[in-house]
Amino acid sequence: MNQLNNAFTLFLSLLVEAIPFLLLGVLFSGLLLFFVDERKLIALMPKHPLLGALMGSLVGFLFPVCECGNVPVARRLLLQGAPTPVAVGFLLAAPTINPVVFWSTWTAFRDQPEIVFWRIGLSLAIATIIGWVFSVQTDLRPFLQPAIARSLVEPRTDPAKAANDSTHLLQSGTFLLGQPGKVIRMDTAGLAAMAAPSITTKPLADRLQLLLENTVQEIRELGSVLVLGSAIAAIIQVFVPREVILGLGQGPISSILSMMLLGGVVSICSTVDSFFALSFASTFTSGALLAFLVFGPMIDLKGVGLMLSIFKPRAIFYMFGLVSLLTFLFTLFINLHVS
Amino acid sequence: MSVNSTSRRRKRRQPWGSGSPPAWLDAMALSLWGILFLKYWLNGKLNILIHPNYMWLTIAAGIVLLGISGLLLFKVIQKLKLQPASSSMGTSAMGTSAQHVTLFPPIWSSSLLVAIAILGFVIEPRAFASQTAIQRGLTDSLTMTRAKAQSFRSAARPEERTLIDWVRTLNAYPEPDAYTGQKVKVQGFVTYPPASELPDQYFFISRFVITCCAADVYPVGIPVKLSQSRSAYKPDTWLEVTGQMITETLGGRRQLTIQASTLKPIPEPKNPYDY
Repeated sequence: MNQLNNAFTLFLSLLVEAIPFLLLGVLFSGLLLFFVDERKLIALMPKHPLLGALMGSLVGFLFPVCECGNVPVARRLLLQGAPTPVAVGFLLAAPTINPVVFWSTWTAFRDQPEIVFWRIGLSLAIATIIGWVFSVQTDLRPFLQPAIARSLVEPRTDPAKAANDSTHLLQSGTFLLGQPGKVIRMDTAGLAAMAAPSITTKPLADRLQLLLENTVQEIRELGSVLVLGSAIAAIIQVFVPREVILGLGQGPISSILSMMLLGGVVSICSTVDSFFALSFASTFTSGALLAFLVFGPMIDLKGVGLMLSIFKPRAIFYMFGLVSLLTFLFTLFINLHVS
Repeated sequence: MSVNSTSRRRKRRQPWGSGSPPAWLDAMALSLWGILFLKYWLNGKLNILIHPNYMWLTIAAGIVLLGISGLLLFKVIQKLKLQPASSSMGTSAMGTSAQHVTLFPPIWSSSLLVAIAILGFVIEPRAFASQTAIQRGLTDSLTMTRAKAQSFRSAARPEERTLIDWVRTLNAYPEPDAYTGQKVKVQGFVTYPPASELPDQYFFISRFVITCCAADVYPVGIPVKLSQSRSAYKPDTWLEVTGQMITETLGGRRQLTIQASTLKPIPEPKNPYDY
């Protein structure tokens, strides 16, 4: 009973600490998505594959979205003609390279600031490398879901059609529109709003309405994943014998592999995953914590589910392979030579 | 067009069907969490859960959550006033066009959030006790990776040092003999480490240190030497121990130990952690 109460206290403490950051991430990303036109952003992207991948990775700083928000944005970037390295770099880096994640990681690892910088640095490096690798595939269409590939093929000469397409994609992307709140939007204003070519050109009132819906929806989705993730962390902490955890957590290789596995399964949002990692800070190697913090936001169960809405499984498999290998090698290097 | 129809097809394959939860359920989830956060703040339980530096974040989040749920409710009521006849299940034309690719059906998510918030009201969080201290590895040294005190001033007079001050001092200069004879007055709770490590007349006076939230609290402690068996002081009893420092060899290791002269029971502090 005592153990159960401990687990519950731990669970609550994770939630109490993490939910403010979750809220911040959701509100921030919602605001930017509704008030920044990413098409203008794409025009600024360099054409060089390596630079493009780097810029794509860095652009996440403008879109503080975690791994649920980045997939719809990456999809829109692709559809609006962003070069492949930009879109792939963004897809992989955006969940980590952003101010909210930086702050929450700093909060959690205030005693080990190197973790924060390693996290940012490694994520940036891995995303850029993979973005660069993907630039070899000049025609990305074989990697994409047929629906998306087809719309890439369509000539963009007819602006009305293009706008129309992207509108539908926005809808099925659902990040912006979601399942429209049945109770909330039954008026035609909502319909009219959805037919508008870009979200940023809609009237302010509609945008605010969409922002509210988007916020509630995101809190619901991300919040429930956070609840489950925190529960898993608390249960492992309290109920798995310390010797088992230490046995896994102190080996330079086993610790990294187990944390990568955990990062892939737990799917906790990147704005708050540092608190999850924190609960393992005393038992796992720094490299393993980093592996969790770098790998989790790029590849996890929830993220793969979302990525399947853009890519064919083959492409996701390549990304998974590259991300895993790079994360493993980098963090192993840290375990063996740095910490 | 084709994209849209594909997504519809995909959606239809999803076993849980469509539909977001009713707005009132979301509003309820948000407001319950908001109230819960503010309740923890007002009744002081936030002290048990997180480091004081971050409490304002939780409080602000509580207020924001209440604000969002207020807006949501306002919208619901507005809608009801506009169309009193239509049922709250009325779907807009786009109701089917958009579906999150989610791990769970949205209604589960909302219900989960509501259920956990209610649990939060029912079950009181409690500060960790000696059992956790043992499980998490009670030592007189700070875990290697953390709490390397960046700036650390130890109180000039040894008897003014808290338990954590002592542990930090010891980490900075670990030779126990250096402190022999210094006066000690520290507060903490009693922990019995496994019998193999400590003879019967010793226990640990211990405390948890928190850096962020209860997930990362770690225990520190210093052995206390009594003149008789420790059985008079049950684990988890909060004590103020006065005495002086000596060096003892315990479990094959020379350790700084408190030779207790008085042990005064104290109530559990409202804020049980140290920083």
